[in-house]
Amino acid sequence: MNVAAVFFYLFSAIMLASAFMVIAAKNPVHSVLFLILAFVNASGLFLLMGAEFLAMILVVVYVGAVAVLFLFVVMMLDVDFAELKQGFLQYLPLGSVIGIVVAIELLLVMVGFTQSDAALGAGASPIQANVSNTEALGLVLYTKYVYLFQASGLVLLTAMIGAIVLTLRHKPDVKRQVIADQNARTRADAIEIKKAPSRAGV
Amino acid sequence: MTPISFALAHSLPEVVLAVGALALLMLGVFRARDGRDWIISECAIAVLGLAFLLLFVGAGPKVVVFDGAFIDDAYGRYMKGLALIGSIVTLLLSLDYMRREKIDLFEFPVLVILATLGMLMLISAQTLISLYLGLELMSLALYVIAAFHRDNVRASEAGLKYFALGALSSGMLLYGASLLYGFAGTVSLQGIAAAINGKANIGVIFGLVFMLAGLSFKMSVVPFHMWTPDVYEGAPTPVTAFFASAAKMAAVAITMRLVVTAFPGVTDQWRQILIFVSILSMALGAFAAIGQTNIKRLMAYSSIGHMGFALVGLAAGTEQGVQGVLVYLSIYLTMTLGTFAAILSMRVGDVYVEKISDLAGLSRTNGTMALFLSAMMLSLAGIPPLAGFFAKWYVFNAAIQAHLYPLAVIGVLMSVVACFYYLRIVKVIYFDEPAPGFERASPAVTAVLIVASLLVVFFSFWPGPLDVAAAAAAKSLF
Amino acid sequence: MYTAIVFLPLLGFLIAGAFGRSLGPRPSELVTTSLLVISAILSWIAFIHVGLGEAPASTPVLGAWINSGALNIEWALRIDTLTVVMLVVVTSVSCLVHLYSIGYMHEDPSRPRFFAYLSLFTFAMLMLVTADNLVQMFFGWEGVGLASYLLIGFWYEKPSACAAAIKAFVVNRVGDFGFALGIFLVFALTGSVAFDTIFAAAPGLAGKQIHIFGMNADAMTVTCLLLFMGAMGKSAQFLLHTWLPDAMEGPTPVSALIHAATMVTAGVFMVARLSPLFEQAPVALTFVTIVGATTAFFAATIGLVQNDIKRVIAYSTCSQLGYMFVALGVGGYSLGIFHLFTHAFFKALLFLGAGSVIHAMHHEQDMRKMGGLRKDIPFTFAMMTIGTLALTGFPFTAGYYSKDAIIEAAYATSLHSGAGVYAFLLTVIAAGFTSFYSWRLVFMTFFGERHVAHDDRGHAAHAHDDHGHGHDHAPHESPLVMLIPLALLGFGALFAGLVFSSSFIGHGYEEFWKKALYSGPGNHILYAMHEIPEAVGYVPFVMMAGGFLLALYVYVIAPGTAKRIADANPLLYRFLLNKWYFDELYDLIFVRPAFWLGRLFWKGGDGRIIDGLGPDGISARVIDVTNRVVRLQTGYLYHYAFAMLIGVAALISWYLVGGVR
Repeated sequence: MNVAAVFFYLFSAIMLASAFMVIAAKNPVHSVLFLILAFVNASGLFLLMGAEFLAMILVVVYVGAVAVLFLFVVMMLDVDFAELKQGFLQYLPLGSVIGIVVAIELLLVMVGFTQSDAALGAGASPIQANVSNTEALGLVLYTKYVYLFQASGLVLLTAMIGAIVLTLRHKPDVKRQVIADQNARTRADAIEIKKAPSRAGV
Repeated sequence: MTPISFALAHSLPEVVLAVGALALLMLGVFRARDGRDWIISECAIAVLGLAFLLLFVGAGPKVVVFDGAFIDDAYGRYMKGLALIGSIVTLLLSLDYMRREKIDLFEFPVLVILATLGMLMLISAQTLISLYLGLELMSLALYVIAAFHRDNVRASEAGLKYFALGALSSGMLLYGASLLYGFAGTVSLQGIAAAINGKANIGVIFGLVFMLAGLSFKMSVVPFHMWTPDVYEGAPTPVTAFFASAAKMAAVAITMRLVVTAFPGVTDQWRQILIFVSILSMALGAFAAIGQTNIKRLMAYSSIGHMGFALVGLAAGTEQGVQGVLVYLSIYLTMTLGTFAAILSMRVGDVYVEKISDLAGLSRTNGTMALFLSAMMLSLAGIPPLAGFFAKWYVFNAAIQAHLYPLAVIGVLMSVVACFYYLRIVKVIYFDEPAPGFERASPAVTAVLIVASLLVVFFSFWPGPLDVAAAAAAKSLF
Repeated sequence: MYTAIVFLPLLGFLIAGAFGRSLGPRPSELVTTSLLVISAILSWIAFIHVGLGEAPASTPVLGAWINSGALNIEWALRIDTLTVVMLVVVTSVSCLVHLYSIGYMHEDPSRPRFFAYLSLFTFAMLMLVTADNLVQMFFGWEGVGLASYLLIGFWYEKPSACAAAIKAFVVNRVGDFGFALGIFLVFALTGSVAFDTIFAAAPGLAGKQIHIFGMNADAMTVTCLLLFMGAMGKSAQFLLHTWLPDAMEGPTPVSALIHAATMVTAGVFMVARLSPLFEQAPVALTFVTIVGATTAFFAATIGLVQNDIKRVIAYSTCSQLGYMFVALGVGGYSLGIFHLFTHAFFKALLFLGAGSVIHAMHHEQDMRKMGGLRKDIPFTFAMMTIGTLALTGFPFTAGYYSKDAIIEAAYATSLHSGAGVYAFLLTVIAAGFTSFYSWRLVFMTFFGERHVAHDDRGHAAHAHDDHGHGHDHAPHESPLVMLIPLALLGFGALFAGLVFSSSFIGHGYEEFWKKALYSGPGNHILYAMHEIPEAVGYVPFVMMAGGFLLALYVYVIAPGTAKRIADANPLLYRFLLNKWYFDELYDLIFVRPAFWLGRLFWKGGDGRIIDGLGPDGISARVIDVTNRVVRLQTGYLYHYAFAMLIGVAALISWYLVGGVR
């Protein structure tokens, strides 16, 4: 067993365990932290495969942005997760029976899983030696996968529109920052000079 | 690799929708006052109409572009036509409704265009990735417009439920896709078919089950239907019409494409799944609708039942069966849109009502609408010589040709049970003491109702064109 | 022209039927009547052209009707002598009845409906007589049945009218059933329903056997018997006659038009039209003879004792139809049609005259309450006398030529056939009876004491009638519009026989009929009937005179004799008065068991078993299932998700357990 294999099992094991803890943890903040741990381990797995760019992106975007945002949200919202989990025990027996059945069946599939001959041959599509990871992505993103890339962009756009539509509220009595107004202010309308008589008190 | 212009030429409707959505979004953001609709809806109808017209441009033998991700064939064009009709009519129906409910934001038509774009991409998907992206684009937009009435508790709840369950179904779909990819080593549907080569591996079967489970959620067939009644009831009525019409078209279309293109050699395997969900759907659609008092909820169960009937044709697994499904979907689309136009005509004062009892004695307060709505109901029930009868006839005939006698018999029995609630509405309309009359509906809504009624009533006189088009489309799928 | 004859009444029906209410009664009357007059005039022109002149028989085709496999049916008008004779009869009587009804019905609020029905009937009857194939004939056949039903039940407020209408319809169904079967059999045998094809094929089918009910039977005999069954129903022949007297519940003009002159003769027409078929089935012809003779006798006996003026005439009609069938049965098709032709005039006359009497008596129909009316309504009296003379066969009136010819033909047949003997005897006796009851009617109505009730009861009944003649309760002569038709029909009753006998049954036979009727090579009845002993020719006259004298004695010279005779033979009297107890018999044999069976199936079969286990039971289960299914929809997100997981688990378990096949 070489080093790569050791790390593969290490990362995988930690990732699975932390993924389990995401749903098992009582404290939602802990859940998010376990999620971050899972992401980090996933990026480790990418590294093992030689996909450095993806590994870094995963860390930067998911860990740095998404998960941290998540953390803020969870901490700011006062969600009583204990209440949400009510009824969990009530359905536990039936749920666990179904769950165990599904799990066993999936294990059986794993045991009986075979790959087609074509898949065995095409398993790896090696990157050319003198092309860097990022460059390889750049080569296909707007050529071979332009359709999928654009489609992904539209999906994200839709998600953004949706988030805005559903949450953004124009409350009339809320003060807003208007940059143009700020820039357009002159000294004349910002400051009023009053001559205060000295020694007269207010 | 083909030049990009060639690929774009074969995806013109999609290009128009994408560009149109962005342009209208810009227009709305910069020009619309207070985020109100302004003329965005009308422009959106024009964009969708243009896309619909472009379907008739450059039709020819099937062409695969974008490196195998996208297919342009007669089948796709047929289904895209249906989806676009659903979208256009949805927007027509929404014009008046959204304004009265004070949710006439310009984002709504934009989201409808984006959802439609997702549907079109879904219908043309030729790899698992393009399938998933199309599905997500459609679903995300649908999640949002389901909750579009964000100040309404029921609408928000509906959107949230739909979103959560949709995420679960997407997960299932992805799990299935990963199993398939793991087996075949390719995401191309045809590549998967080649890898399977008629021999069903247990992993492939599991992948198939999970993928079909994910798609079944979008088709809202039992047991993946649970969101349907709640969402149909909670969402704004035009949105419900959209769910029941265009969204269904896309979901059934890709299901057919998936099983026919990627699993041609293992028909016996996927047929069992389809028969399973089909029978359950027909039964649930028939029985559960009987107990409903809300007409939108009733239509939810009705649509579940109708999807079950449509899948009877697909379960046959033959070209004839696919043709039957296409005819079925076309007629179902007409009936559904007509019915929702009638539901959108149910306005007392400024309030849209949706109880079945609100229709009581409609024959005396508005005889014309009563007649049209009754025609819709009788057609949905499948009573000859209305179009709904021929729809059922096509799929049951296909099932019988494929020797699926029990399925056909169960289907007929369930359609008899389903007759009950359709006929009950007719009875309420004609024989109950009149409820308060409805206000005059907007011209667009009335026009939709009239056109749909005429199509449904007079279909039997001129079924030729639909039959021919469906046959050509089904042929191109195989 | 032929098209106009047939479709003008339909036009009248459509106008009066659709717009009658908005047009008002008077325009409806005028429109339908004037259209009918035009139609009648055209018919006479056609009659002169085709019957008396040299215009060839023709068959204008109106269009295709049914094209289904080997079954090709066209709308076509078959114009030959037989048709034009019927056209003349139907349109003439119909237009006179229309005219008459303007006066007779003038108090009825729903006159547009009445005239619409009359025109509808006329149209259907014309379709029947111009039919070029059996199916079109059946169309007309059912059309007149429908119109008859509507007109008998015209006063639908009266329960007895409704019952009579239903009875007429149902009894006719029995006959129509046979007719329809006959048509099917003809189609099965010849592969066509068009007359030309059938007639051409008929000689070849003689002696052909078919296998029915486990035995072989002569095909043509079975066919003709089935077809004749239809004729029996429509023409109220023995066993299927019970509806005709009850049909008198309808307005009197209706009785005159439908139940005397036209519709009831449809059976006679049908047999004559299908003479090429019947000629191939001697057994069926014998059956026709026997049924006809029996009806002639049996109806006459009942007519002897009836007291309702219209019922007497109705039984008389029944009896005369029997004569016609005797004529047909012995092979004298032209005799039957000739009697039909003359009978239409004098029977319509009698009915309309009776209507005039009834009108005069303020809708009193019981002859026992009449009497001595000849001074009050002299014109009607004169016309009724003419009708009676013609009916009884007084020399040189219409009936003399036609009825006596039938009796002679029956005698000619009796020389070589048992059925002929039977027919001859019964028709002769019936002729005597006919004379008796006809004169009885005249004497009871127009002679003797005035029985008109002037008591309070009469006033009450009168007021109840809402009659509108406040000024006078005495019998009064009818208005001119009713008397003109009487006069015209009286003219016909006197001279129709004299003028046309040569053409119909005499030397002009060949030139007149021009092969519209078919006689087999061995059929020489028209010659044979002229070669009978002279004495036989006097027999009908003797019977008529005897009947007259007897009636004169019983009702005029020695009133009260009738009652004595009746008291002396109570059994016979009641037997006749109750119409041989046919209604009671049918009630016992058919109606009650049918009701019993119906109730059994309704309450037990349908109500308990089918409804109980079927609709009601299933719907109750459906509701149960629904309630359970609806409860599944809890609204909880995790329930929904759980349902999806269970679905997936079930599916993959299915594949794992069932194995991948």
